[in-house]
Amino acid sequence: MFVGTVVYALINSVILLLMAIGFNLTFGISGVSNFAYGAFYILSAFVTWMLMNWIGVPYFLSAVLSIIFTAFIGAVMYRFILIRVRGQVLSEVIATFGIGLIILEFFRYLGFVGIEYSLPVFIDHSFVIAGTYVDMQRILIVVFCIVLILLLWLFIHHTSIGLAFRGIAQDERTALTFGIDSDWIAMLSVSMGAALAAIAATVVVPLGTISVGEGYDVLINALAVCIIGGLGSTGGVIVASLVVGFAQRFTDTYIGPHWTMIVSLVAILLVLIVKPSGLYGKQKELEERI
Amino acid sequence: MEKRICSLTIFLAFVSVLASPFVAAHAADPIVIGVPTSTGFVEGKEGLAVVEMAVEEINAKGGVTLGSEKRPFKVESIDIRDAAPGVPVPEALLGLEKIILDKKPSALLIGPFRSEALLAGMDIIAKYKVPMLGTIAMSPASEAKIKKDPDKYKYIFRTCLNAKYLVKYLVAVMAFVNKEFGFNKVFIMNQDVAWARATADLIKKHYFDKAGWQVVGHEAYPTGTLDFSSAMMKVRAGGAQVILPIFDMPQSGILVKQWNAMKVPALLAGFISPLAGPGAWKTFDAKIGGAINVNFELGSAMGSPKVPCSMDFLAAYEKKYGKPMEAGHGPAPTYESVYILAEAIERAGSIDPDAIAAEIAKTDRTGVMGKIKFDDGHQAIFDMDPKDSAVACVFQWREDGKRVNVFPQAIADGKIQLPAGLKPVK
Repeated sequence: MFVGTVVYALINSVILLLMAIGFNLTFGISGVSNFAYGAFYILSAFVTWMLMNWIGVPYFLSAVLSIIFTAFIGAVMYRFILIRVRGQVLSEVIATFGIGLIILEFFRYLGFVGIEYSLPVFIDHSFVIAGTYVDMQRILIVVFCIVLILLLWLFIHHTSIGLAFRGIAQDERTALTFGIDSDWIAMLSVSMGAALAAIAATVVVPLGTISVGEGYDVLINALAVCIIGGLGSTGGVIVASLVVGFAQRFTDTYIGPHWTMIVSLVAILLVLIVKPSGLYGKQKELEERI
Repeated sequence: MEKRICSLTIFLAFVSVLASPFVAAHAADPIVIGVPTSTGFVEGKEGLAVVEMAVEEINAKGGVTLGSEKRPFKVESIDIRDAAPGVPVPEALLGLEKIILDKKPSALLIGPFRSEALLAGMDIIAKYKVPMLGTIAMSPASEAKIKKDPDKYKYIFRTCLNAKYLVKYLVAVMAFVNKEFGFNKVFIMNQDVAWARATADLIKKHYFDKAGWQVVGHEAYPTGTLDFSSAMMKVRAGGAQVILPIFDMPQSGILVKQWNAMKVPALLAGFISPLAGPGAWKTFDAKIGGAINVNFELGSAMGSPKVPCSMDFLAAYEKKYGKPMEAGHGPAPTYESVYILAEAIERAGSIDPDAIAAEIAKTDRTGVMGKIKFDDGHQAIFDMDPKDSAVACVFQWREDGKRVNVFPQAIADGKIQLPAGLKPVK
């Protein structure tokens, strides 16, 4: 059972990482806390579902179109709303959370409730890994996540937009002196964060069903992982995903699943007490030293 | 004289012509049915749909006979949102009061989802004296309240299954499995919410502990849990022959998919709400073959050829709304409630709430759930034969995507099939 728990803990960590990486990227680059993140996740899943079931678009094309659409909505949200409150953290949080609520509750209002809303798994098969049965979708999630992280790294380090992202993330004013348009880059970062939420939905949603309530759960998971890892730190998010993912599954197996939700919260509290900026965060490091 | 008679005749004719629209309007005054429910949830959405369906059927026949006239039903609904997590009970109560005051309904149907909202709402209903046929909230505490003060709460009835009857059905299924296959090792999994915890605890206390079953594990899962792999590994390691799940969250379908994907050699038999309707087969990628589910009422997303009107009801719903019913709790008793109300009004001969309530209490009707009668706590009586009482239905998903009733025996169309790797022990 120990090995099986390790296998599923690793998968759980990867799912948490996928759920959090977009939120973290947006915050790390533009400083925008996108509280509509969970809503983008659900928006993308429903759009994929609608394209498949109402128009008959093939699954993978639906997923790609839905990711593009979600990225577009993210850009629109920045261009018409967030740009007006950029830098005012509380206003950004209220604005994005409000937009998220509107998106999620609009789906509920339209009647998107029930269990008929689901996406198919990519490959329908199970494997035995170290004596434990694991379905192919979960294995694909792990592979997909590794590839995605590598591609993100290449994008950030070896493309002009990626370098502009890093420039803005390091020092916005200095980046401006080099001719980098910070609003354009911030819009791209929000849009890319939304696209990453959509990508996460595409691979994770086939494990269950699409439900409006899950939008809130995804946001909470993303926040938990990002706060523990340190807002804006990709390495921190990876480590935090592993910490939370393993803690959750081992709590499930050896303590009891009703304690699982508490694990993330206790981890957040402990990290905030010991290192308020998170495991690898830089936001408050100076104040902490003082 | 002749001139006077002629003038009077013309005057009367004139008055009757002028008054006729008012007379007609009065004759057509609808009887308002209020439907306060959580329309954002499938049970509420489909419940409201079947109210409209039943009302259409009744109105197509002219409406409800009230004395010498026929009056149509009219449906007014409000979303009281009490099923949504985090919505406080007072908000649901405000919705309940609003529909009573604004729409002046002669009766309420469906009502709150959460029992605490129902229990608190009972005082509002008693205050305004509006008969209510509840079809979702399941706590027997409402019956106790009615029995304690029957005069005050005489307006409140429950047509759906209550928690006691759910326990009775689940215990009966476990006893049936024990008798058929000799299984006596169970792993209990329930959602970490009050009703599911209470149901699981009652089954353990009143059946498993007394009947000599070994409870290999008993775990509660928070709403929103996305991974049940640990439990599946524990089931395998502990040698459990039966998994008893009790869940009503959408994510609980993941449990069934993992049970299938991890090829766990145990019979999955209990209540998982997303498995109730025919859409579950597609939703869960055809990975639910072998799972046994309790639908709370016959007719709610599952009928039986042995009760033909349950099949007719489901066919009529699909024809009207273009898709099959999915909620395994609520629609059938809600549909029946409209007819119970219509019959009670006709017997009472008025829409006086006391008269309607008195007649509802005398209900003796055979419909899609079987025979409906209320006990002294105003709870519809459920048992094992639709000829004598209302029934729930227990069905098994088969590998070909069909659902087959396996219990109670009066409506069973097939026998339970065991999953691969699990053999009977007797």
